[in-house]
Amino acid sequence: MLKAIETYALSYLAQQLPQPTAFINTSFELVCASQSWLDYFEFTPHEIEGKQILAFFDEHGKGHWENCLENCLTGEKEFGIQNTVSSVGKEQWFEWTNVPWYDEQENIIGVIIQIKDITKRLENELKYEKLENLLKDQSEIAKVGTWEYNIGSDSLFWSDMTKKIHEVPLDFEPNMDRAINFYEQGHSRNTIAMLAHNGIHRGESWSQKLKLITEKGREKWVIAAGKPLYKNGEVTRLIGTFQDITQQVEQQKKTKENEQLLRTLVDNLPLNLYIKDAESRKVLVNKAECQYLGVESPQELIGQSDFDLYDENIAQISRDEDLQVMKTKKPMIGKRTISIKKDGVSTSFLTSKIPLLNLEGECKGLIGISMDISEIIQKENQLSDLINVTAIQNKKLINFAHIVSHNLRSHTANFSMLVDFLAKEEQENEKERILEMLAKASDNLMDTLENLNEVVDISTNVNLEKKSLNLNEQINRVQENLTAFLHQNKVVLDNKISDKVYVKAVPAYLESIILNLLTNAVKYQNPQRNPKITLTTEKKGDQIIFRIEDNGLGIDMEKYGKKLFGMYKTFHNNSDARGIGLYITKNQIEAMGGSIIVCSEVNKGSTFSVYFKDEN
Amino acid sequence: MRINSVYIVDDDTITIFGLRKLLAKYSADLVVEEFRNGRLAFDSILSLLENNIPLPEVIFLDINMPVMDGWAFLDEFLKLPNTAGVHIKIITSSIDIRDREKWQTYVKKTGHQIDFITKPIYELNLEDVTHNMDLAS
Repeated sequence: MLKAIETYALSYLAQQLPQPTAFINTSFELVCASQSWLDYFEFTPHEIEGKQILAFFDEHGKGHWENCLENCLTGEKEFGIQNTVSSVGKEQWFEWTNVPWYDEQENIIGVIIQIKDITKRLENELKYEKLENLLKDQSEIAKVGTWEYNIGSDSLFWSDMTKKIHEVPLDFEPNMDRAINFYEQGHSRNTIAMLAHNGIHRGESWSQKLKLITEKGREKWVIAAGKPLYKNGEVTRLIGTFQDITQQVEQQKKTKENEQLLRTLVDNLPLNLYIKDAESRKVLVNKAECQYLGVESPQELIGQSDFDLYDENIAQISRDEDLQVMKTKKPMIGKRTISIKKDGVSTSFLTSKIPLLNLEGECKGLIGISMDISEIIQKENQLSDLINVTAIQNKKLINFAHIVSHNLRSHTANFSMLVDFLAKEEQENEKERILEMLAKASDNLMDTLENLNEVVDISTNVNLEKKSLNLNEQINRVQENLTAFLHQNKVVLDNKISDKVYVKAVPAYLESIILNLLTNAVKYQNPQRNPKITLTTEKKGDQIIFRIEDNGLGIDMEKYGKKLFGMYKTFHNNSDARGIGLYITKNQIEAMGGSIIVCSEVNKGSTFSVYFKDEN
Repeated sequence: MRINSVYIVDDDTITIFGLRKLLAKYSADLVVEEFRNGRLAFDSILSLLENNIPLPEVIFLDINMPVMDGWAFLDEFLKLPNTAGVHIKIITSSIDIRDREKWQTYVKKTGHQIDFITKPIYELNLEDVTHNMDLAS
C-alpha cells in the first residue's frame, strides 16, 4: 500500500517537473516521466509506461544507451547530446544527463534521465559563427577595421584589419597618442585629435575622410569613424571603424584628371565638336562650336537640333547625314559641307560624323567634328583663278611667239629670196621689178612690226586707269570720224542706247573697240543690201553688255568660231582684211577685265557682245 | 616626162613672184595658175575633175591663208578621187615644230606625195616630181 502510495506520489510529482525527466528502473523499464518529457518526444503515457526504454532507440543508439545506463546503475553520471526528428520533420537537439536513482537507503534503484532542449542554442551558435565569418570577410573586402578605446584604462584596441591598414605587425600594441600620430601632420592630425577630444568630453560621433602615413611610410586615405559608449550616463568607451579608401580616392582623382584632360582637349581643339542624340539634338558642344554659333555657354545649345540653328535646307541635309551614319553605323569622314546659319552666314566645313555606340552596340547618337575650311577654299579659288589667268597668258604668249616666228620670218625669208634673185639677175628691167618687190616687202615688215607693237602695248599696260565713260559720247565721237565712210556705204546706224549708260573703260581702248567693230560691220556688208547696224546695251548683274548687230555677210561659226579673234586670221576674201583688228579688240577688252563673244549666221549678219565689268 | 601645169596657192604676192620666177627658169611654156586661198584652188580642181581635164602635176601650198588655209585644203583635196599623181609642196615660213609634226601625220596617214619646204626658196628642184611621173607611166 505504502509502495503504491509512493509510486503514485512519485508519478504525480514527476509529471509536474518543468524539465523533461524520466525515471527508469534497473530493468530499464520506464517507471514514470514528466509531462514535458512525454511532450518532447510526443508520447502518450499508456504508450510507454512500463515499457523497455531501449525499445525506442535504433540498433546503434540501443547499444550506446544500454552501456550508458548500466554505467549509471554502478553510480556513474553520463552526459551527451543527441538529436531527434519530430513528427513534423523538425530536427531537435537535446542535451541529456543520466544520473543514478537512489532510494532512502542510498540504493541504486534505477536511472533518472533529464534532457534539455538546445536546438535554439545551437542555432544561435551557428548563426553567430556565420556572422563572425561574414564580418571578417566583409572587413577584408571593404578594408574596414574596428577599434575600441577604453577611457578609464586609457587602453586602445585595434582589429587585425585596422593593424593591416596601418601596416603594423599583428602583435602591435597601439595607444591613443601613437594612433593619432599616424595621421598626416597638419589638417588630418589636428582634425582627428579634435574629434577624439570631442568624443570623449562631449560625447560627439564622427566620420571623416583623413590622410595617414603608415608605418611603412605610405600615404593612405581613410574614413575614420567614432562613437561614444555610455555607462550610467557617462562616456566610458569609444568605438569605431576605420576604412581604407585610398584606392577609391585615387580612382576618383584619376577619373577627374581624365575628365579634365578630355574636357581641356575637347574645348581647345581648333575644331567644332559636338555630340548629338538619336534625334540629332546636341548633348555636348565644345567652345569652338559655341563661338561659331555665337553663344556664351554650351547650355544654350544643349537640346537644340540643326533645324533650330541652321537654314532649313542645310538642316535637312545634315539630318539625312546623321540618320545615314546612325543607321549604317559607318562613320562619314572628311566630307565637304556648307553650313548656313539662320542669319545667312555661310561657312564651309570639312565634316566627320562618327556613330556613338552604347555598350550593347546600339547606335544612340553621333560625334561630329567640323573644321572650318572657308579660308582654304577661298585660297583654292584664288589659286584656281590665278592658274586660269596664267593659262590664258601662257596661251597668248605661245600664240604671240608663233605669230612672231611666222610673220617676221616670212618677211625676212622674202628679203633673203629677193636679194638672192637680185644678185643673180642680169636684165635691168627684171632687176627693177625685184627692187619694187623689195620695197613692198619692207613696207609689209613695217606694218607687221607696228601691229605687234600695238599688241605688246595692250598686254603690258594691264593696269591702265579705267574711267567711267558715257558710252554714247564715245560712240558719237567715232561716228563723226567715220562720217564719210558711213555715208559712202549708205549705212543706217540705229543707236538705241540711253544717254545714261556709263561704262568703266580706258578711253583710248573704248574708242578703238567701237571703231573696229563699226568698221568691221560695214566692211563685211552683204552686197545684196545696205548695211544696217543696231547698237544696244543691257545690264546683267554686275556687267554691262554692249551689242553691235549687223546684217552683213555673217561668219561660219562652226568653221571659224575658234579662230575668229586670233591674230592674222581673216575669213573673207576681202583685200582690206588684215587679220589684226579683232585680235587687238579682244586684247583691249580683256586688259580691262571684260570679255567679247560673237553670234553669227552666214548671210544674215553678226552680233558682237562686249561685256564691261561694272565694279563699284 | 615633163611637167605641164602647176598651181600656186598663196596670199603673199612676193612669194608668188619668187615662185613664178623660179618656175619660168625651169620651163618657159609651163602653165602656172595662182590662187589667193585654199577655197579658190579647191573649186578650180573640182571643175577640172568634172570636165575630165588633167590635174596640175604640182601644187605649191601655203599654210596661213584666209577663208580656207593650207591644212583645210589638204583635208578636202585628199578626199577627192584620182589625185594620187598630184605632188604637193607645202611652202611656209613657219619654223613652228607643230606645223612640221602636222605635215608628218599627213604623210603617214595618206601616203600621198607631200613635201615640206621652209622659206626662203632660192631655187626649185622638180626632178623628184618628174622621176615619180616616169615611174608611174
